Amino acid sequence: MDLKWTSKSLRNFESEISEIFNSGKIKAPVHLSDGNENELINIFKDISSSDWVLCSWRSHYQALLKGVPAEQVKSEIISGRSISLCFPEYRFFSSAIVGGHVSISIGIALHEKKKNTKNHVWCFLGDMTSETGVAQTSIRYAETHDLPITFVIEDNGLSVLTETRSVWASSTLRYEEIKSSKVVSFKYKSKYPHAGAGVRVQF
Amino acid sequence: MGHYQIELTKAMELLASNDKVIFIGQSVEVAGTLMRTTLENINPKKLIEMPVDEDFQMGVANGFALAGYIPISVFPRWNFLLLATNQIVNHLDKLKEISRLGVPPKVIIRTSIGSVKPLHPGPQHTGDFTDAFKLMCKNINIVRLDSHEQIVPQYRLALERDDGVCTLLVEWGDKYAE
Repeated sequence: MDLKWTSKSLRNFESEISEIFNSGKIKAPVHLSDGNENELINIFKDISSSDWVLCSWRSHYQALLKGVPAEQVKSEIISGRSISLCFPEYRFFSSAIVGGHVSISIGIALHEKKKNTKNHVWCFLGDMTSETGVAQTSIRYAETHDLPITFVIEDNGLSVLTETRSVWASSTLRYEEIKSSKVVSFKYKSKYPHAGAGVRVQF
Repeated sequence: MGHYQIELTKAMELLASNDKVIFIGQSVEVAGTLMRTTLENINPKKLIEMPVDEDFQMGVANGFALAGYIPISVFPRWNFLLLATNQIVNHLDKLKEISRLGVPPKVIIRTSIGSVKPLHPGPQHTGDFTDAFKLMCKNINIVRLDSHEQIVPQYRLALERDDGVCTLLVEWGDKYAE
């Protein structure tokens, strides 16, 4: 991980992006993070530069913590690529499709196991994604094949504005009901909306 | 064994000669499909039998490719491959644009228009979506193998090309006997 990042400096990065977005200089959606800084910093203490990190459309913090220079991340965001940030030289990929990166993570983990390396795959996903078929399949496959992968479920209880537990008519999600050695999780609340930075732009 | 099946078998052996190539799918390691008959000479270490979950399988193939392998992702019929459309259209076809890799990942997809002889399995097993996928994918070369003479050259091109274009090759199940 990039040890220089603190909760405050991460929040400051997103704050700057939110100001740039609200000024209309970013002609593409952004998905900002907030409220999960401490949890991510702790998780990234275990992530090495040769490990792989795969994310969803909300990945600014993870890219910074993986060691991608802030100016490079910022440049990509301003260029309109926040929604699917990829920095292959840092082994960092993301997908803007729900669950799209999850099975891809399994392929990379299988590769690392076949090559008998010590590299690990870290797959970040939200609570709604964690309920999808591909997430359930991937977690089970990772367990039964003992793949070098950890799924990090970041649970803000929402998918856009849909309440995950409400639509599943359940007070608990599968990751809470069936514990897995391949899954870590935390709950958080963000001050930012699903997309954008407060100035409503419907897309 | 007909010319079509012989050429497919040769093509699979050509692919397998590359150290980076692996084959993944249902009935690649164990018997069960016509396609499997063309993989019988392949080193079992290169064959990864997958659970039946087509989009999961295709995502795994894309992951292998990002990590440096050349996966051959095998779907016995077009109708089954439809279930992997997300990973093919939204991911593999877009990786060149979003991944910014100097050398874009390479995946070769193999599927078939299901045979209608000696048994006709009906409309859910005999579809041909070649033209539809050509419209949806701009970074995947999609070719229907109408003649046995196309098979080895097309697989060689798929394996050797370095322009970031992936490949989807479509067989005719009914031509295996020709």
